[in-house]
Amino acid sequence: MTSARRAAAEAWAFRARVEQEAALRFERLAAVVAGFDPGSPVPAMMRRAADDERRHTDLCARLAESLGTPVALDTNAELPSIAPPSLDERQAVLYEVVAACCITETESMATLTTLMAAEPDPEVRAVLHSISKDEVVHSRMGWAHLSRESVAAEVAFLGPLIPGMLAGTIDEGLFAAPPADEDAEGLLRLGVLPLAKKREVFLGTLEQVVFPGLEKFGVDPERGRRWRARAAGHG
Amino acid sequence: MHFKKLFQVLVLGGAMAGAVAASACAQANAADKAKKPPADAGTTESGGGVKGW
Repeated sequence: MTSARRAAAEAWAFRARVEQEAALRFERLAAVVAGFDPGSPVPAMMRRAADDERRHTDLCARLAESLGTPVALDTNAELPSIAPPSLDERQAVLYEVVAACCITETESMATLTTLMAAEPDPEVRAVLHSISKDEVVHSRMGWAHLSRESVAAEVAFLGPLIPGMLAGTIDEGLFAAPPADEDAEGLLRLGVLPLAKKREVFLGTLEQVVFPGLEKFGVDPERGRRWRARAAGHG
Repeated sequence: MHFKKLFQVLVLGGAMAGAVAASACAQANAADKAKKPPADAGTTESGGGVKGW
């Protein structure tokens, strides 16, 4: 197996697990948001998103398997909240929605659009296209919830918590040197960003999409910007 | 790069999906800040993040 194929198989297997977790998270969050904001369109969006993510799990797992890495998923998986325990229920939901949707789903969309532009193999392109159509909505539902909460409640408490969200979003290896045998073109054909491109997309999306979005809805991104500067300095 | 388009499609599109106009949002938030202090001001306790693609 080539290095690109092996790395791509691992990446798609990881994505299958990420998508499975997202389905569990959106199911849980939909029920809580509906409890305190019954007029919100977000719970219905989250329930549809959970269905999307289960479909994405299958797509990613099948691709991983076709590349040589069968994926074993825990069908009884549970997903506890990632919010700091000091937050009340409504704040904790907002924390988790911002982390999962405004940051992670937005970053995923940037990755997907970059991959789509890189002429992947036809089978990979079909999967990327199918997933990207849904991920647009998954990112939007986070910004929709934050915009509603910025009117109905106080959201400034999130500012100091952004670095924790960002640190938990990335892999430790993002700011390390790429593997010596990295095959950038081979990775792109199989739907994976080479490390330098992944870093560039991640940092650019933070600076030009996520931070301006947070600021727009009353969350000071300054601490996030400082975290980004420190992280980029390690690259 | 596609960042500007992503901001428009995701952030502004999301605000529209939430049925909250951006200007009203900013005004209301400013008024809200004047009414009450941040609920968790000063905390340094951190939570986790969500891994993605």
